[in-house]
Amino acid sequence: MIRLILRRLAQAVPLLLVISAIVFALLHAVPGGPLAAYLENPNVRPADIARLREAYGLDRPLLVQYGSWLAAFLRGDWGMSFADGRPVLTRMLERLPATVELAGVAGLVALLLAVAVAVGSAVNRTFDRAASAVAVAGISLPVFWFGLLLQLLLAHRLGWLPSSGRTTFGDSSLGDRLSHLVLPVLVLAFVQAAAWSRYLRRALREVLARPFIRAARTRGIAERDILLRHALPNALGPFVTVVLLDAAMLASGAVVTESVFAWPGIGSLFTEALGKRDYPVLMAFLMLGAAAVVLLNLLADVVVAAIDPRLRESA
Amino acid sequence: MTTPGTVVKRAPRVAAIFLGALILAAIFAPVLAPYATDALDLANRRAAPSLAHWFGTDELGRDVLTRVLFGARVSLAIGLLSALVSVAFGVALGAMAGYSGRRMDDLIMRGTDAVLAIPRLPLLMLAAAVLQPGVPALILLVAAVGWMETARVARAEVRAIAARDFVQGARAIGATPLRVVLRHVLPGVIPAASVATTLAIGRGILLESTMSFFGVGVQPPAASWGNMLYQAQTTMTSEPWLAIFPGLCILTTVLACNAVGDVLSPFDPERTA
Amino acid sequence: MILARRIVHTALTATALALLACSGEPRRTGPTNDLLIVGYDREPDTMNRYATHILEDIESCVVEGLVTNDERMNIIPVLAAELPTLANGGVRMLGDGGMDVIWKLRPGVRWHDGVPHTSADVKFTVDAINKGDWKPESVDGFDRISSVDTPDSLTAVVHYTEVYAPYLLQFVRGTLPKHLLDGKDLNTAHDYDRAPLGTGPYRVKEWRTGEHILLERVPDHWRGAEYPRIKQILFRFVTNTTTRINQLKAGEVDMVALVAWDKVRELREVSGLRLNHVVGNGYEHVTLNQRHFPAFADVSVRQALAHAVDRELIVRTVLDGEVEVVNGPVQPLSAAYEPNVRAYPFDTARANALLTQAGWARGADGVRTKDGTRLTFTLITQTGFAIRENVSQALQQAFSAVGVEMKVRLMDGTTISGTWFSGEFDAMLHWWQMGADPELTLFFAGDRAPPAGRNINYVNDAALTELLYRSDRTVDATARNALLREAQRRIAELAPEIVLYNTAKIDAVPATLRNFTGNPTNAGPFWNVHLWEIGTP
Repeated sequence: MIRLILRRLAQAVPLLLVISAIVFALLHAVPGGPLAAYLENPNVRPADIARLREAYGLDRPLLVQYGSWLAAFLRGDWGMSFADGRPVLTRMLERLPATVELAGVAGLVALLLAVAVAVGSAVNRTFDRAASAVAVAGISLPVFWFGLLLQLLLAHRLGWLPSSGRTTFGDSSLGDRLSHLVLPVLVLAFVQAAAWSRYLRRALREVLARPFIRAARTRGIAERDILLRHALPNALGPFVTVVLLDAAMLASGAVVTESVFAWPGIGSLFTEALGKRDYPVLMAFLMLGAAAVVLLNLLADVVVAAIDPRLRESA
Repeated sequence: MTTPGTVVKRAPRVAAIFLGALILAAIFAPVLAPYATDALDLANRRAAPSLAHWFGTDELGRDVLTRVLFGARVSLAIGLLSALVSVAFGVALGAMAGYSGRRMDDLIMRGTDAVLAIPRLPLLMLAAAVLQPGVPALILLVAAVGWMETARVARAEVRAIAARDFVQGARAIGATPLRVVLRHVLPGVIPAASVATTLAIGRGILLESTMSFFGVGVQPPAASWGNMLYQAQTTMTSEPWLAIFPGLCILTTVLACNAVGDVLSPFDPERTA
Repeated sequence: MILARRIVHTALTATALALLACSGEPRRTGPTNDLLIVGYDREPDTMNRYATHILEDIESCVVEGLVTNDERMNIIPVLAAELPTLANGGVRMLGDGGMDVIWKLRPGVRWHDGVPHTSADVKFTVDAINKGDWKPESVDGFDRISSVDTPDSLTAVVHYTEVYAPYLLQFVRGTLPKHLLDGKDLNTAHDYDRAPLGTGPYRVKEWRTGEHILLERVPDHWRGAEYPRIKQILFRFVTNTTTRINQLKAGEVDMVALVAWDKVRELREVSGLRLNHVVGNGYEHVTLNQRHFPAFADVSVRQALAHAVDRELIVRTVLDGEVEVVNGPVQPLSAAYEPNVRAYPFDTARANALLTQAGWARGADGVRTKDGTRLTFTLITQTGFAIRENVSQALQQAFSAVGVEMKVRLMDGTTISGTWFSGEFDAMLHWWQMGADPELTLFFAGDRAPPAGRNINYVNDAALTELLYRSDRTVDATARNALLREAQRRIAELAPEIVLYNTAKIDAVPATLRNFTGNPTNAGPFWNVHLWEIGTP
């Protein structure tokens, strides 16, 4: 197992290196550049632009810029944000908790929903049909449209929930925090639960069709026990890997949700930074995202290996 | 009473008929559309749905039904073509990885991992900001972030098929690898590939609308369902028809694609059960 | 039939949801003098007024300038005791072509930490900017200052190496506190950047990144203990326009500054809100790049295009009548405004005649050609502004009626800035937000094309350029304005760009908010925040 982890980690290094080069090149190919925002201001003279270009080191050859970025990054120096001059790491860490909170709660809710729906579907045919219909709708919705509709309905018309943001000013109660979470979590979790429940339902069905389940049935084991003790654990194995692989996607998918609900997370930081061409922040965001995916992949492999000993050898 | 059996028989038919009708409507949009695409009527802006304008008119007095029909061309083209491109590319790469030697396999799959590891939507937003793409480039972009899963599935299928007796047999009698792949292996991948395609159509349409939400999708004055929805988001309270019709088009189309994909799926529980 | 039913069912649910969303009444409870919540479109990068490159609304509540612009665009003293002019001896012209500006500071002004505000702070500010190791946003004007003398604690004599007509606005962004920042690297003075020490009525109490900035009133403000009246102002950052407007309707925020014109309609009916309307000091126009698209070098082509557009119709419909048609770059609020310039009324026949005379004949497809060149160009404009997208489509239709083909290309803000700066475009729909000073040189002098300026029409008219430079060297306001008026008449004759309409600054504020005036300049609506007060409805 340790060898597997070490090998995968060793593979991850060149992978991340390649990604960083791709992303860096892509970033600098975006027209405009970080100083273009200054051009709209009538007080900024062209001489100012040239001065700032030099000050930010943007006048150096691209390869040199990449080299110095990489060297600093490897030392753990993520650079300074062009937008406000503060360390990138500080800016990321400020925003990370909000995203972890949103994606974490949404992921958990989606997970519980998915399992409940999948089990329910295996038990009751009518429920199965209804749930399948809702699930297929869930994966067919434009997320931002769904979010705006919910916001309009539940927050603005009915007034049940705050429409956006993470807290109400002057109210630090848990209830307030939770009420702000409801809408974005609802949107994010619904879409994710739809996808997961479809997967798990299918996996469960497949397991239920296997001979050992039929054998268990002939032995007279209660349907309930068959489902929960035998079928579900077998179906959960591959499902866990899907969940882990999707977890990073969940966070990056929060870019849309955070934008609609003015959620102060790392996704909205990305949107902002993209608008301003804040290269250091964008690089950090994409590298962090890639690293998270790589680690979750690794975790998924480990989990699979732990669940299924046969794979330990071949992995 | 409909039995599960008849459902299985009819569901794909209904969805397929719906999609077929939609494609026809898109192709014949110039004939079907009641107005010219870019006909501005500033005197008749934001008109609610009526007999003259079934879906109402927009901020510039353009007929929404007309724009939905022409938007269907763009949205469906993006969905269909990006799906075909991404699946073809994914299958080709996956087959190559699954059938070639270990080193090639490693190289391809690590490359796939790399692309898979970059957060998809941010990557797409970034690339769209670089390229400021027109519709053809958008199709390629959407395809570029969608081929990886297909490649993985195709590789697994190819490996499974390649291990079977009849393929081993063909190899043994000296058939060239290309011939083996084309004649024996790829046909086995078709079911999985067709499922991937139907699902990718829906995903492509959704992705275009999300990109439009961030202003990097299809650019006006050309209409796509995504950018109509984007433009309508600010007037959802006062002129709901501007958001509802393109939104419903996306929803129903993607729904139909997913429904067809479900039924085609070899793992479909309703068939295996 | 399950699937069909599924589809119908989902469709119906979505429709019902949407329709439900469109009915009902929003509730709102008004603000009080304890707390005013502002929905703000973007988070500041830094609170340092010299380093930020977005509007300084929040900053200006904390850090005051020596002067500011009032709601009629007059320059009024704030930390200065009076405005230095030639007449009151505050400006001295020197024999070597330079000039001195003598700033008399208001006595009794203290920084929030109790330290008096003095001429040493003015000198420190100039030195910090001119030292060259700091990255302020703009050094405009400062680069012409050779030194600052401080004969006493309330007098700062600023020496300019050349005449600088907009000297009054030199310190509109305030001063930097010497006692706090002396010896510090301003590039990394994050404590100051996040919560600057100022003299204004408010100070930063909390900045929660991505969420809000909370300002609290300063006790013992120099204007008197009764100022400001509102205890706390909360700026909530809500980037998405729809979300921001919805929050305003729901009463989750009390006010929104600078409402987009196409949102005003939605807010008209909301009870408890007042829409404050001031005419802004900017103008929307179509830049015609003569260098990149040679056909625009012919004045008759430019004039024809101007005649082809029904600006009144566009303003009445696409802009909901929120702005007015104008004819030039200087707006009526300015003392330099010239009303009697050549205008280009909507006249398709005239436009057609001008184009035909200029040698552009209609081809088989209706598009005009001359010597094998089609009259086809691409208009760029910024994405994300529904109004601009719509106006550009109206223009497209107007031009096609006179045989001119125009394509539209949308670009995001950063891309478009880079594009106009490089000059690689045919035409651009945009606005210039003009400074409070009526300088036009930067935009119309022949040698001020980028990178030396903003003449992106690439108009090069010797008479105009001469007039403009003469106005720059004239400090006397009356004489300078006369020159600028003549320049405006010349610009209108040349029609280097198609001038469309002025800009309106519309702020949605609580109906109970007193003394709110709005502001046409970049001073922003918070310029007199110390006077604001919530009254009884």
